[in-house]
Amino acid sequence: MNIYKKWFWPLVAPALILFIAVILVPFVVGFVNSFLAWRGTYYFNPETNSRATNILQSFVGLTNYKEALQDERFMHAFWYTIEYTIIAVIAINVFALALAILLDNISKGAGALRTTYFLPNMLGGLALGFIWQFIFQIVYTDILFAPDSILHNEFLRYMTQNSNKAMFALVILNIWQYAGYMMIIYTAGINNIPVDFYEAASLDGASAWVKFKKITVPMLMSSFTVCLFLVIANSFKMLDQNIALTNGDFNTRMLALQILRTVKDTTPPNYGRAQAQAVIFFVIIAIVSITQVRVTSKRELEY
Amino acid sequence: MKKLLIGLSIVALACSTSVFANGASETKSSEAQADSIYVYNSKGENAKQFAAMCAAYETETGVHVKNFSIGSGQDHMATLRAEMNSKDKPTVYSIQGMKELPEWEQGGFVQDLSKVTTGDFGKMVQAIPEGLRLSSDGINSYGVPYNVEGYGYIVDKAMLKSLFGTDPTADIQAATYSEWANFVTTLTSWIKAPSKMDVTFNGKTYTLAASKDALSSKLNGVFVVTGSEKWTYGDHLLNVAINSVFSSSRDAASATDAQVAQLESSFIRYAQVLDLMTSNLAGADGPAQRGQALVSSSKFGYDQGVQIFAQSKALLLKQGNWAYGNIEGVDSNMASRLEFLPVKMPYEASDVKVNKSIAQLNSSIPVFVPNYYAVNALASDAKKQLAYNFLYWLNNSKTGKDYIINKFDFIPYNADPSTTTVPNSLGNSIISYIDSDNTISAPYNGSPAGWSGDVVGKKVMEEYLTKATWATADYKAIADYAVQKWQDMN
Repeated sequence: MNIYKKWFWPLVAPALILFIAVILVPFVVGFVNSFLAWRGTYYFNPETNSRATNILQSFVGLTNYKEALQDERFMHAFWYTIEYTIIAVIAINVFALALAILLDNISKGAGALRTTYFLPNMLGGLALGFIWQFIFQIVYTDILFAPDSILHNEFLRYMTQNSNKAMFALVILNIWQYAGYMMIIYTAGINNIPVDFYEAASLDGASAWVKFKKITVPMLMSSFTVCLFLVIANSFKMLDQNIALTNGDFNTRMLALQILRTVKDTTPPNYGRAQAQAVIFFVIIAIVSITQVRVTSKRELEY
Repeated sequence: MKKLLIGLSIVALACSTSVFANGASETKSSEAQADSIYVYNSKGENAKQFAAMCAAYETETGVHVKNFSIGSGQDHMATLRAEMNSKDKPTVYSIQGMKELPEWEQGGFVQDLSKVTTGDFGKMVQAIPEGLRLSSDGINSYGVPYNVEGYGYIVDKAMLKSLFGTDPTADIQAATYSEWANFVTTLTSWIKAPSKMDVTFNGKTYTLAASKDALSSKLNGVFVVTGSEKWTYGDHLLNVAINSVFSSSRDAASATDAQVAQLESSFIRYAQVLDLMTSNLAGADGPAQRGQALVSSSKFGYDQGVQIFAQSKALLLKQGNWAYGNIEGVDSNMASRLEFLPVKMPYEASDVKVNKSIAQLNSSIPVFVPNYYAVNALASDAKKQLAYNFLYWLNNSKTGKDYIINKFDFIPYNADPSTTTVPNSLGNSIISYIDSDNTISAPYNGSPAGWSGDVVGKKVMEEYLTKATWATADYKAIADYAVQKWQDMN
């Protein structure tokens, strides 16, 4: 009997039990609740306008979904999140890959620099958000890009006070947080590319750009799969940074924050509707992530 | 070998579930104890003192009180809902006024205390003043007030003395809006270039000092406005205007569209007052103006605003008695010299729909109950009785009152204003307003959820506080938006 087979269940059990208890069960309960007039601590009966005595009385079908999709704030948060994700995915990965390649080409101090770039990722989202709030509101606004500075630039002042500017502020913040982490993944990928490929290409007279396009990119496809997946998922789910930086003011609510605030926007709190939004949210992330992983893994090379 | 494996997996299972089992056994113990209640306190600031009070109650009466206070700044509703979903539900919990009542009332979690007619507790509930009662229909009564709080323009008496050489407080309180507005603009020019200038309060002439002294030379503006805190001009300043049409949050909550439309002209007054305030601003380094800096939380957040005021850079800070501790932290001498001045609005007779004169409204400060103790309707009758005893003790016994006044730093809702003093200048100022019957209430609590702060406050912050000059059309636009949104959200 294979040793892996024998130890499979005992080793998997703790994680599996936790997964079932804190992810799967709440997910199923939440899914069911999205069809009910759930108010957080009780079920509401819309017909008698009072507490439901029986859970079936609070069945409202697709009402919560309809209300969610008709909610201006939800739809705004939806498009805002999509726009942010597109920009963030490109920006973070370009930065991360550039850093990885640069650090691969220097011999002295690369380790120290890698550690430095990775460090911001150790901070929590809220702490990071407050640090950057200070940077945007004081350092950017009054020092670096102030009218009396040679770098004067109105776009980079008061970045947290405008819906579009705040999106770029979030991108800057997240590049700082994630680029170092993604860089480590790319670095691992780059180290796995056999040096012979580049040597052979050099002999054939390939330029640096051709080598990057024909060797580095195809050989890094498995790293792209991982990095794109991580950034897409993180961007969609972003909450802490959003709260700390703008708290959703100036129309900057992203999907996760919108779901969290739905119960505050309504009295009694409409948990059913918030739950419906969460289910829609889940479906979107699932579709985007699965499509992305399929597309990029098809391009991965075996050699 | 197989047996060993099964054994191991059972151990693993046991380890991972023991975490849950522990939690469950803890809750069971207080459920099983007949002689105990569970009190949920939603104020994190007095957690330690609250626990000490519960321990004192246990020593005096032998009834065990399990108490739970949330962490400061934590979302108290999420935690309370979780507790309500658990087996061991709180016997006594807190409701932040009309804003939170619908949920607990609809869910059947809150005991109607007006049904308790017997005993000392029954009498105590009957005696809660109409204006402080938590009631959805005027008859029921869903809570015992934690305390009362109030807000207005906080002013340093020493600063007034240094400006006028005498104490004009009583006349300022009685002054009309135009006298007040004239004083504000005169003071702004005095700060720029001091000379003897006359202002009138309540028909009497007061003269500003010919030159600045050590204290008044610190002034660089009249008001400090915390532009990034929507609740200060969203919830609280709006509330002053709402008081001209609705006298209680219950009236506001049941208002028809036509009644809400009556607020239009008062909201125009609100915008005028906000214009006056933000046109005479103090800042950390010299006078401030409306603009993007004003709504930046690193410059005009709550702490920064308190700091500007406590350093005597501004004459007035519109805040409540809860700011006492913050001011004391910066300058404890100043903290002992504080008092409230009323927030005046340029009302005309046609604006006022409540049974009060313009003069009365303009010499009053909002005094309200921020939090109520509610009794869980789902608890057993025996537990409810224990809860009543506890609440009676807290508000009437010597020990209970000592905790409320001296340890929690609260103003008791049932104190006799003519004989009670609290160890804090702003608290005493509120008591003197109560004593002279110069109080208005907090009807904004009856407005739709999120309307005042997240909707109107947000609009004002994003579009108006950032705008350098306001035209009369802007007053109207703010008022239209406020009325429209209230009607839409109802």
